[in-house]
Formats: sequence, C-alpha cells, structure tokens
Amino acid sequence: MISVKKNIFRFINFCLLSLVVIIFVYANNFQSSAIAANEKHFYGPGDNKQGYESIDYVTNTLDLQKRVGKQADLLEFYRNPPLGLPPAPVPAYNPLTEEKVSLGRILFFDRRLSINDTFSCAICHIPEQGFTNNEIQTAIGVEGRSGKRNAPTVYNSGYLKMMFHDGREDSLEQQVWAPFLARNEMANPSIGYVINKIKAIPDYDGLFEKAFDGRGPTMETVGMALASYQRTLNAADSPFDRWHFGKQQDAVSESVKRGFEVFTGKGQCSVCHLIHEDYALFADNQLHNTGLGYETSMGSNSTTTRVQLAPGVFADLDNKIIRSVSKAKLNDVGRYEVTENPNDRWKFLTPMLRNVALTAPYMHDGSMQSLREVMEFYNQGGVENELLSPLIKPLDLSDQEIDDVIEFLKSLTGSNIGTLVADAFAAPIGNISKDDPNWAHDNQIK
Amino acid sequence: MKKKAVSKAKWIQSIATSACVLVASVVGFQSTAMADETCMSPYMAKIVGQEDYVYVWTLGVEGMGDGQDKLVTMSVNPNADSYGKVVNVLSVGGRNEAHHSGLTDDRKYLFAGGLDSNKIFVFDVATNPAKPTLHKVITDFVEKTGGMVGPHTFYALPGRVMVTALSNNVDHGGRTGMAEYTNEGEFIAAHWNPTDEDLRGAEKVGNVADGYGYDIRALPRRNVMVTSSFTGWSNYMMDFGQMLGDPEAMKRFGNTAIVWDLHTRKPKKVFEVPGAPLEIRCAWGSQNNYCFTTTALTSKIWLIYEDEEGEWQAKDVAEIGDPSKVPLPVDISITADDQGLWVQTFLDGKTRFFDISDPFNPVQKYEHVIGEQVNMISQSWDGKRAYFTSSLLGNWDKTGEADEQYFKLFTWNGKKLSHEFTVDFYELKLGRAHQMRFGAYSLYSQKPNSDGTMLSQTK
Repeated sequence: MISVKKNIFRFINFCLLSLVVIIFVYANNFQSSAIAANEKHFYGPGDNKQGYESIDYVTNTLDLQKRVGKQADLLEFYRNPPLGLPPAPVPAYNPLTEEKVSLGRILFFDRRLSINDTFSCAICHIPEQGFTNNEIQTAIGVEGRSGKRNAPTVYNSGYLKMMFHDGREDSLEQQVWAPFLARNEMANPSIGYVINKIKAIPDYDGLFEKAFDGRGPTMETVGMALASYQRTLNAADSPFDRWHFGKQQDAVSESVKRGFEVFTGKGQCSVCHLIHEDYALFADNQLHNTGLGYETSMGSNSTTTRVQLAPGVFADLDNKIIRSVSKAKLNDVGRYEVTENPNDRWKFLTPMLRNVALTAPYMHDGSMQSLREVMEFYNQGGVENELLSPLIKPLDLSDQEIDDVIEFLKSLTGSNIGTLVADAFAAPIGNISKDDPNWAHDNQIK
Repeated sequence: MKKKAVSKAKWIQSIATSACVLVASVVGFQSTAMADETCMSPYMAKIVGQEDYVYVWTLGVEGMGDGQDKLVTMSVNPNADSYGKVVNVLSVGGRNEAHHSGLTDDRKYLFAGGLDSNKIFVFDVATNPAKPTLHKVITDFVEKTGGMVGPHTFYALPGRVMVTALSNNVDHGGRTGMAEYTNEGEFIAAHWNPTDEDLRGAEKVGNVADGYGYDIRALPRRNVMVTSSFTGWSNYMMDFGQMLGDPEAMKRFGNTAIVWDLHTRKPKKVFEVPGAPLEIRCAWGSQNNYCFTTTALTSKIWLIYEDEEGEWQAKDVAEIGDPSKVPLPVDISITADDQGLWVQTFLDGKTRFFDISDPFNPVQKYEHVIGEQVNMISQSWDGKRAYFTSSLLGNWDKTGEADEQYFKLFTWNGKKLSHEFTVDFYELKLGRAHQMRFGAYSLYSQKPNSDGTMLSQTK
C-alpha cells in the first residue's frame, strides 16, 4: 500500500516536473518568438516614412504596444567586444560592474531627470533610431528649445576620446552633466537639483549604495553610472567585420568589397575614418572644416523654402512667412566655440561610421537626409572657404563608385544591434508617479 | 444555449439602440431649438441666453509677468460693470504648453491640459463661476495611459471625459491614443489608435494608418466618435520656422481621421485625410449625419459623413484660401443651425465664414482680418457673438511685432463682424491667449455675488 502511494506520489511529482519543464520551454520559446517577431522594431522609427515623398505613400506603422524587449547581459559586450572593436577603455576609477550598468540604464530612460519630468537621455537617443533621432535634424529640448546640432549616436561612445560635435568634453563621466544642465536640453537648474531629485525618487532607493560601496547619488556617481551603461553599447561584428577581420569571403556582397576599395583608395575616406589592422572605429578623434558649417553660417539666404505638406504634396513657401514664425537661428562656429581660436572656425569632430545606416539624418546639423547626399557633398569637395581642411577636395567618384561606398557603409551595422535595442525596450521608463518629488495629484502644486 | 445567448445579446442591443435613439432625439431637439454653444459635446448641460464669463487657458511667457500658465476669467456680460475686463487670474505653476480645455458634461469642472508637462488641471468652475479654483492636478497621465504624451482635447461623455493625446513617451513622435477619465479625474482606460501592425479591428480605407491623434467629437445618435491627427511632441514643441525647414520633421504629420464605435471605443475605419486634419465639428441637425474637419497643411475642408448605405466616408469638399500659400487653417466652429462654418487661418490672421448649407459644397461668403495672427473662435449660443484668441502654440506663434496676444469680441449680424472690444494679453502681462470656454450663472441656478462684481442674467 505504501509502495503504491509512493509510486502515485512519484508519478504526480514527475507530472508536475514535466509540466514545469513544458511551461518553461514554452515560455522561453514564446518569448524568443515574440522577440523574433519584434525584430522589425529594432532598426528604425516605428513610424516609418519611407516613400513619403510620393503621393502613393503607404504606411507601415509599427505599434507601440508591441514594442517590447528582453533584458540582455550587457556587460558581455564590454568583456568581449564584438568583432571589429578593440578592447573597451575604462578609466581605472570607474571599473565596470553589473550594478553600475544596471543603474545607468535606469537613469538613461528616466524622464524625471529634467526640470519638468518630460526628458530622459533616451528622448534624443532613441534606441530603435540608432540611439539618435531619425525624425528631426537638430535636437529639441525642454519646452521645445532648439539645439543647433544633431543628436549623435551613443553606440560605441565608450571609445570616444572627445565628445560632442565640437569635442568639448573628454570623458563620459563628465559629459553626462552637460545635457542635464543645458537650458535647451534637460534644463535642470543645478547639479544639486538633480542629485536631490534622484535621492527623493523611491525607484532609486539603495541602488547607488549597492553600486558604489555605500555611496549615494553624487555628481560623480551619477556620471559614473551613466557612463557605465553607455560603455556597454558596443555594436559591431557587422558583415564588414566578418569579411574584413573574420575573413569570411561571403559575408558581404561584391559591391561592398568594391566600396571598401573606394573608401580606402580613391575616395580617401579612411584618411579620417580610420581602419586599423585588427580593429576599426572609423574615426580619427580629430576635428575638420568640411565647409558645411561655413556654408550654413555665411551662405546667402534663398527667397523660398520647399516644404512638404503631405505625401507627394509640396509648396514653395516665401521665406518672409517662415521668418515671421521663427526665432533667431543660433549660429554654429564649431570648435571655435570651445577654443575661441579663429583657425578653429567651423571645425567639427569626425564621427564614427559604425552603424551609420541607422543614424540618419547626417552631419553635425542633420542637414543631409541620406548617405547619398553625404557622398555627393564630399565628392564635390565640400564647400570652399579659407579654412577648408586640405583633406577635403573633389573626388571625381562615379555614380557606381558612390553606390558601392554606400553599400559598404550599410555593411557596418553590428550584428548585436537587435540585442541592444531589445534590452533598451525592456528598460523601465521613468514617468512621474505617486511619491515622486514633483507629484501634484491634488490641488497642491509642487 | 449559444442561440439563446445570441438572441439575448440582440435583445439588449436593440433596447440599447432604442435608448440611444431616444436620448439622441432629445439631445438633438434641445440643441437645434436652443441654438446651443456650437462645438460642445451634445451630452453637456446647456446655457440659455447670455454667457457671463469666458475662461481663457493662457500660456505663460518666460520673462513676462509671473511667467507661468494661467486660467484667465473674462467678464463678458454687457450688463456687468466689469464687462470686457479680466476678473480673475489663476496661475498654475510652470509653462506646461497650455492648449485646450473642456468641460465635464455637468459643466462643474473644466479640464485643461499641458501638452508639454502632460499635467491636467481640473478647475472647479461651478462653485463660483467668477472665480474658478483648482480642484485637482492630474500628474500621472503618461504613467496611467502606458506612455501617452500631450493631453489635448477634453470631450464630455456622460460622467466621463475623453482625453485625446498627441504623442508618446518613447520617441516623442505622433503615435498615440486617447484616455478615458471620470468627471472627478480618475483614470479609467487607455485606447491606442490603430496602426498597420495592429489595426485593432479597424478597416484601413486608404493607404495610411499612422496612429496619430488630435481632436475628438461624437455623434451619439449614430454611435460614432471621430478623431483626427496632428503631430508629435518634437514638432508641436519645435520652433515653427525651424520645423518648416526640416524635411524629416515635415514628414511627421498625421494624415488620418478615424471613425470609432462610440460605445465600445473600438476603431471602425481609418480614413486617409492628408495634411494634418485638426478640429472636428459635427452637425447638430437630427438628420445631419456628418462632421467637418480642416487640414492645417493642405488647407482643405473635409466632410466625414454617413452615406445612404449607412457606410462612413471621407471626402475633401472645399479649399480654404490659396492652399499653395499655406494659410494654415486652425480652429473651426459650426453654427448651431448647421448652415455656417467659421474657419480661422493663422498665418494671414483671417476668419472666414463658409456657407455649408450643402455640406458637399461649402462656399466662402465672408472674410475678415482679426489680427496679425488668429487661432481660436468660440461662438455664443445664438451665433451673434464670436470670441477670438491669438495663440497657436508657444513656439509656433509669430515673433516680433506680429506676435499679438489678445482676446477679442466681435458681434455677427449674419453679414459682417463688428468689433466690440479687445483685451491685450501682453499689455496685462498675462501671456498667450488660447482655448476659450464659457461660464454662466444660469447653469448652476446661482445669483450674482453680493460684492457687486457680478450681475443678473437680464438687465
């Protein structure tokens, strides 16, 4: 009798165990298939405007309710940088840890870290838009205040030696404070305001202390946490990397191979966008005058602007009308604004080209919508001015050669983009809610 | 069993339909007979006669006065000593991008939204119509709705307020939805707009299902809600001139109008209405099953109507000014008899009156320059008075001398507008005047206050 009972018990146990295993496998598969189905969310704006120039434009709008992700082991992309990247530099005073990365990830998506609780880092550095913003030329900050530059991508920012388009900062830890405090970005009134706000938000209870050996939120630890998250956003192992560094001959098309030849040869692109023997960042950590900034600052004003009103519908608007609804446009003199050296006028930092297919619009002011426009600009030798870099000159590339370089540039999209974006989708978005500092649900405002 | 359930459901449906028809008939009769305020929800309590106050939801301007958003109460009853003057200013803190406001069905509360801060300020306008008080601030609109940004239109349903949004907290683009609150400001539900990836049961009639949102109106007798589509935070907060010069940004405008099932809140049809359809105004007549909207960028009047087969359709029926010059039609207002439509064009500062007696062929009959810029209009119940304000959006308004900010009253005799008074909101250091809503003692069976600042409904 006892043995029968035992057997029944064993059988039930077995069944339960099997059920657990089945549920686990099913749930995992379900999640994987959900992530796989979500793939289309990872590589561009969900509000797809391809073909908008045509009256026959058809939407292919993705749904925000299906924008779901999956947390990843981000530290792995630091420990073992994807193929094509060198070992990731990390300052000795801020070694990367799981706790810091996790905390930095929460901070990055927290809209409460702005004066009016509406602006996180991720509002300008949108994960599925190449961690930049594909939808506007230049960044817009709190209360709609205009920035004069295009939001740069955060991918591979751990390798940067200079930050911002004018290279005015030299460490990620310090860099984070510029957008926090800039009036036309997150517009926080002071460092103390940010620190005290973080201290008062219950979501951060104990997280800083856990990540920083008992230290709470400070100017230093906030910067260190955010820098730590950014240092894991390393995206490479692209088709180009597999072909060039991995020696997989079939990893890229013949057009990409031809484009690489032009890029490193006749096009002279790699003079600034460097490719090393065993890795490539496609940047030289230098600033150059290509003439684009000069043209914007000094170029003559046309009398009309072509404005798109709807799919396939355009109007040439009188610039007087546009000026009547415009505030004075901020001029941009580039590196000069840091050094005040007149020789630095209109110099801007060479951007990395990895994942460039995901980061339109292009140039420091986002004035070029496509890679073709960029290539044509360089092919014509930039814009003549007295400080034009001697490296910028007419290239005489054929249409075919330009097409091939564009194909080459498209081959620089990292294989782990999906993982990084899915991880970002899974991060909590910090919206103001009960118990937060600016909560005012009854009639008591602040 | 199944049959029984179906027949029971049908029975309930038929009772509900009859009830709706009955309610709609009553509402329809009231509205046309009393020449009601013309753009409000048909579910809303009515004012008969002269309005006493106009509540102007006003944007604070940095460096001007106290620099914050405020509800400004204008005295507008000509019998009042304070006629044409500001009688109350209620500052709410911050520049929230004050935009639209809407009353609850009982007109006890005025909901007023901040397109930037996402706060919703709920004012008590019933206890003392001359001096609204702040009843509640809803701070968690984004959190509760699961990520909607930019609470825009506040539209009264029975015991409910529908709140359309303009954007989202992920990319500050145009994909969004609408939320449902109780009159007390308690969140009930979020309804996301249909997209290609999830049409939510709707039919995509044209090429476009962009998921954008803007205004909302209902035709209860047809069990229909209609929504329109504008643009996301990045655009509506951007410097207007900068945006016009940004080709990427100009692709991010709504091109859709959606017809919804009013009772189930499910989208039924997504229409292609290119060029940012904004305000929706539905006809009042009991047989007039249509609504108008105008497209801001393409300068057209669109009719969204039920055809003879009972199918909803959308059709462009007229142009507004010269579309190639982009006059930018903004607010519109339908007359209570469904015969006229006022259309404001922001960039030329004009109001235009269209004869819409044939809704398929609107014809412009009159135009008048209100100011350097004009946005909102609110007609009185009898159509004889029209109030105008100036501001469109904080960063879209004209700059320099042309940035006039005013509240103006004109009278309308059916042929022309006559100016009554202007209140300069900059001179008074108030800010940018935007949405207007009416208040009256007659709503609440109240008498004027004893301090003499108020007056009776009749002189």
